[in-house]
Amino acid sequence: MGTRRKKLNENGVGLYVHLPFCKSKCRYCDFNSYAWTGQSLQSYVDALLIEAEQRIKGLKPQTVFFGGGTPTFLPADLLSQLLEELNRICGFRASSLETTMEANPESVNEERILAILAGGVNRLSIGIQSLQADVLEAYDRVHSPDQARQALALAQQHFQNFSADLIFAFPGQDPERWRLDLAEVLNFAPNHISCYELSYEPGTALTRLRDVGRWNAEDPDLCEYLFKQTGEQCSAAGYQRYEISNFCQPDHQCLHNLAAWQSFDFIGIGAGAASSMAGTRRHNIERPDAYQAVIENGGDPLSREERPNAETVLFEHMLMGMRLTQQGVSRQRAKRQTGLDPWQEYRDQLVDLGQQGLIHADGDLDQICVTPRGALLLDHILMQFLPSASV
Amino acid sequence: MTKNFPPERIRNFSIIAHIDHGKSTLADRFLEITGAVDMRKKQAQMLDSMDLERERGITIKAAAVSLTHVINGEEYLLNLIDTPGHVDFAYEVEKSLQACEGALLLIDAAQGIQAQTVANAMLAMDQDMVVIPVFNKMDLPHARPDEIKDELENTLLLDRDSAIECSAKTGAGITDVLEAIVEQIGPPEGDPNKPLRALIFDAKYDEYRGIVVYLRMVDGKLNKGDWIHMIGAEADYEAIEIGKFMPKPVPHQHLCVGEVGYLISNIKRLEDVRVGDTVTVMKGQRAELLVGYREPQPMVWCGIYPTNSGDFENLRAALKALKLNDSSIIFDPESSDALGFGFRCGFLGLLHMEIVQERLEREGGIDIVQTAPTVPYEVIMNDGTIKVIHSPGELPDPVMFTEIREPVVTVHILVPTESIGPIMKLCTERRGVFMRQEHLSASRVMLTWDMPLSEIIYDFYDRLKSGTKGYGTMNFDEPHFEVGNLVKLRILVNGIEADALSLICHADSSQRRGRAVLQKLLKEIPRHQFQIPLQAAVGGKIMARENIRALSKNVTAKCYGGDITRKRKLLEKQKEGKKRMKSIGNVEVPQKAFLAVLATDD
Repeated sequence: MGTRRKKLNENGVGLYVHLPFCKSKCRYCDFNSYAWTGQSLQSYVDALLIEAEQRIKGLKPQTVFFGGGTPTFLPADLLSQLLEELNRICGFRASSLETTMEANPESVNEERILAILAGGVNRLSIGIQSLQADVLEAYDRVHSPDQARQALALAQQHFQNFSADLIFAFPGQDPERWRLDLAEVLNFAPNHISCYELSYEPGTALTRLRDVGRWNAEDPDLCEYLFKQTGEQCSAAGYQRYEISNFCQPDHQCLHNLAAWQSFDFIGIGAGAASSMAGTRRHNIERPDAYQAVIENGGDPLSREERPNAETVLFEHMLMGMRLTQQGVSRQRAKRQTGLDPWQEYRDQLVDLGQQGLIHADGDLDQICVTPRGALLLDHILMQFLPSASV
Repeated sequence: MTKNFPPERIRNFSIIAHIDHGKSTLADRFLEITGAVDMRKKQAQMLDSMDLERERGITIKAAAVSLTHVINGEEYLLNLIDTPGHVDFAYEVEKSLQACEGALLLIDAAQGIQAQTVANAMLAMDQDMVVIPVFNKMDLPHARPDEIKDELENTLLLDRDSAIECSAKTGAGITDVLEAIVEQIGPPEGDPNKPLRALIFDAKYDEYRGIVVYLRMVDGKLNKGDWIHMIGAEADYEAIEIGKFMPKPVPHQHLCVGEVGYLISNIKRLEDVRVGDTVTVMKGQRAELLVGYREPQPMVWCGIYPTNSGDFENLRAALKALKLNDSSIIFDPESSDALGFGFRCGFLGLLHMEIVQERLEREGGIDIVQTAPTVPYEVIMNDGTIKVIHSPGELPDPVMFTEIREPVVTVHILVPTESIGPIMKLCTERRGVFMRQEHLSASRVMLTWDMPLSEIIYDFYDRLKSGTKGYGTMNFDEPHFEVGNLVKLRILVNGIEADALSLICHADSSQRRGRAVLQKLLKEIPRHQFQIPLQAAVGGKIMARENIRALSKNVTAKCYGGDITRKRKLLEKQKEGKKRMKSIGNVEVPQKAFLAVLATDD
């Protein structure tokens, strides 16, 4: 542990690499991920590397994040090849403060871990979600609680820095069972832990099940109770809530995401990957087969690109920045990055929200930050900043 | 074809039918056989010109079309005046019938006679019209014409041998129907030498041409360019264009005795055109008013408010435009503490109300909030005067009046014999008084009940349908008023009385109704940042109470770099949803909550 060697640079760039394949698709998942049906993983990696040659040559990113899908679904040799080539193209091993790879328990083994460590990955983020067999099954996850425990043990053994993802607010969840799950995961001493409330995203199997009455809808009181209990339990174990759903040991924030929450530039490669560079938002083609086909034909896998206006950029700056429950939004940095002053644009709302005790905001101070009660009502807070005559 | 026909070669008829008994298909078949519509250009169901009608499969607005058909070497002009088919629209049926000398009584040969068909056929026979029974869908394997002939004799006293069998789908028997129209229905009567007299039986608004008036010629002759006078509205206009519906409007030089057509005079003042009014000449000898239509009796009332208060005048304009071709709508401005300025509107029935709401939103482009429907009540004041109220908010202080009378109707319900039990139970639950039971045929029964109208206007029809596997139909006559033990159920949201949610109900059911309303509000009003007490009260007595708990959590769990645009749009959508809500005090109430109170699935 100890303090971080370097700090994020406001002008640096993060690199996101998307690997969309999974063994099967979880019911709650709305990411651009696909159950693998036998297509060539090598071809996907080849296409990814062609895109890398075109878009990130010599990039020297300050952070790297391999997300999915399940990046560790790739076999060890393919992971080695990907990391080796990517380093050759953009030089991340020398430049990156933190190189994270996401993993799921069923695909975490020593062979893959050694391969990615050798390839330059220095942080593992494991999707545990639950240690209850019935809950895992209800989510359509393909691993057992024991596989999750083994994955955590391997991560603890090999990584200086690792994280675990968990989901709470399974319908009717007994708070005590959730407390025991979280305690057991905390016993593996991950440096970072993400605890998400189960959310019902548009288009997911879970949302459809709920809408047809085959899945109990969320109970807002239970969600709130669990949210608070989770915060208290993590805090007692020495983890601070630095973002709505993210906790870390001191100085172990996920740097890649921290940069995104501060609206620093990032560039994403792979199917459906998003980029935000110098004010331009870009999204790649989502379907891996279409993405590959375009690249194989010498094209750019761009799906859509937009340059939002200054007001939208400022709103998005708030949308991301206010999620940081400790540092909030810096007025001066917001001015530098968006050209607009939140205290000028949102003065009335900020004063009002301050009086309601939802934010700490003071025109003389640089920081605008949620209070603990405000963190729970963040969407309500953000809506105040939206223009009332929109659309 | 722009020539005119002498009255002896004209037949004006309408079609009386139940929903789905094939009226529109039959009309289409007529258009095809008489060559009025090119097959390839034909869109299914030509006569239903509004989107809404096609979607719901019911004809709301009467429309007219002129056909020519040759029988025994003579060419006849057949004017089909379409009638609406739903239980709410008896008034429009009456308007259509007054422009005709005869009617086809179209009956589904498998389903048989329906309660409302009986009512409409009676209406036609009361006006001494010729009624020709036509059995449609004879191609269906389960058609049962013999049994339906029993029903024809038992319900309408019509000769069983007068029925014509056909299939609008296959085309079989259609020419027989056309021949019967010519042979059995008399030609229109009228005097070509008398001053012009024509009946306005419908109208619609055309953005470019002003109001299009639908006319049935009675006496005299109308020429293009004539100056005309609307007797009731006391308005003068020039007949800029006149013509007939073939079925598209085709301009003519003249309209003569017995003909049906349209008049365009660039009329922009909606109040100048009244359905039922009489058109005559402006100069010279004027005609007398034709027997005008009876004023419609709206029996369902509700408040309609613009979601955006700035839309009040637009809403008024939209209601006026609707009133033009649906004269049965009645509206007067009213204001509500909760909803601001809006209109108290009267409708013929619930479906009518729903359709008007949709047309306002679709055609008028106005978002509206609608309050719980109510029936009119007669309040007998202490001094003996009668005050008619159309909303719970108008009910005076209980010390000011002695009693409340509510509308009660005699309901005729036609059901299959096996459904008698459940329907009897339903009627009893709804405070019905049993009158009689008559067997129409081996399998079908007509039940007659006296029931408070307020018990019918909610979901009675739906319950009837579900209790009879869809075969039950009903019809009711003009209501009379009877004293009832009625109370005003006040609904308080965060301590503020919401007149838009209040209702008048029977004292015995006030607690049950109050609980049901609060349960609905509990579900529909989103949590706020503070706790919201909900109460249902009669006078000062609280009958039920609930609490909407404070919202203490509203935060997106996951938001990363790739999600920014999507999450922003989700928030924008949420914010947009709030704008459609109405404030009661500091509580934002979605329109769904106002509507949910209507449904009485308690």
